[in-house]
Amino acid sequence: MAISNSNWRAEVGAVFEKEWLVERRARTGWITAGLFGFVAVVAVALAGFGIKLTGSLSAGLLWVVWLFAATVALPRAFVAEEELGTANLLRLSARAHSVYWGKALFNLVQMSAIGLLIAVAYIGLVGAEMRDPALFLISVLGGLAALTGTVTFCSVLVAQAAFRGALVGAIALPMLLPLAALGVSSLRVALGNGFPEAGWQAAVGLVGYATLTFASGPYLFAAVWKS
Amino acid sequence: MIRILVAVWVLVAMAAAFLAPDAKGFQSPALARIVFFHLPCAFLATGYLFAGSFYAVKFLKGRSAERDETESARKSVAANELGYLFAVLTMVTGILFSYVQWGTWWQWDPRQTSFLMLLLLYSAYFALRSAHGDPDRREVVASAYAVALVLPAVFLIFVFPRLPQIANVSFHPTQTIQQGQFDRNYWTVLLANFFGLLMLSVPLFRLRIRAEALAHRRFGEATGAAARATITRKS
Repeated sequence: MAISNSNWRAEVGAVFEKEWLVERRARTGWITAGLFGFVAVVAVALAGFGIKLTGSLSAGLLWVVWLFAATVALPRAFVAEEELGTANLLRLSARAHSVYWGKALFNLVQMSAIGLLIAVAYIGLVGAEMRDPALFLISVLGGLAALTGTVTFCSVLVAQAAFRGALVGAIALPMLLPLAALGVSSLRVALGNGFPEAGWQAAVGLVGYATLTFASGPYLFAAVWKS
Repeated sequence: MIRILVAVWVLVAMAAAFLAPDAKGFQSPALARIVFFHLPCAFLATGYLFAGSFYAVKFLKGRSAERDETESARKSVAANELGYLFAVLTMVTGILFSYVQWGTWWQWDPRQTSFLMLLLLYSAYFALRSAHGDPDRREVVASAYAVALVLPAVFLIFVFPRLPQIANVSFHPTQTIQQGQFDRNYWTVLLANFFGLLMLSVPLFRLRIRAEALAHRRFGEATGAAARATITRKS
């Protein structure tokens, strides 16, 4: 049966709205990831003993904070469905692609907000120098989008597994390492180290990586979600 | 007969690896012959990774069309297990090469780092498999992860070490190989070792598929017997 665009959009919108309402009630994702990110930034600032960090080190540490904040916040979308026993109801209510896009869009909004807040707190507390704000913004948004796509997909893989809380980090982080390598290459230039051409090249790579992640995600998700 | 031919081929190729003349352009030319094992292992690790992903796609596609593609799932696991084995061998021989040529076991060379990340990806694949008790769910989830591995793997193997800012700090002798500093004899021995390892790995691949099929049958028999026992007890 052909599915019209408006039906598809309505389904995605409904899944997004459901996530939004659940998060507004519980606020678990925002609180855990936000608090984790802020504590990690404070820990980095304290561990530095006021030493001015280089652009490369600043970029690397910021990416480490994002990686762990993402693995804390994003898996909840699917893990909570299985824990609360609502996953089967969702399977009956919406098509796999709509579920993926609804949850991925919600995760993207959540991760972008948390990631940007962490970045602002990091720059403020650690005192990193900002050389290229446009490159900074593109690499932050591209990096957070690619992080969201990867962790959202990994979270559905572990949703029915044993020890899923620890497992999601174990399987998502190796997939995120190449992304972190690109992200650090780009962000270090924005924070004052390296050549601008290399930074922009890495930022374009990051956006491409995010696009590929979101393009392939729904198909793989559908195969797992239906099982 | 074929097995004997393979054994002879492998023995001759290994002997040739020790007898080949030294390569040019290395810090320690005599010990550079580690590449006779290192390079084929790296090629096979990459090849089996993509083979694992290919069979995973076949399994998932067949499943969505309601075809029995259990054989593809077994092939995917076997390919990934062999890929992991060759990735470990690549890593070990790479570390030895690093020590004899650059004087240190590990120095975060981009090629070393990218293969380490590849090993972590493989490890995550097996961790994911072991976390699912239901065999059907395990195959679906592991196959999806095996397909998803392609993007980071392609990036790690083909893109990351070639990024200008990364390639400039690498000690890896990619340029030495590409600029033709290996003579014809060196290439012949290298290819002989590659085909030797490939021919050795194919029977291992088939054996692993048969072992997996046997384990699946035993599991089916055991669960069937348990179900029958429960029904008998209740009646």
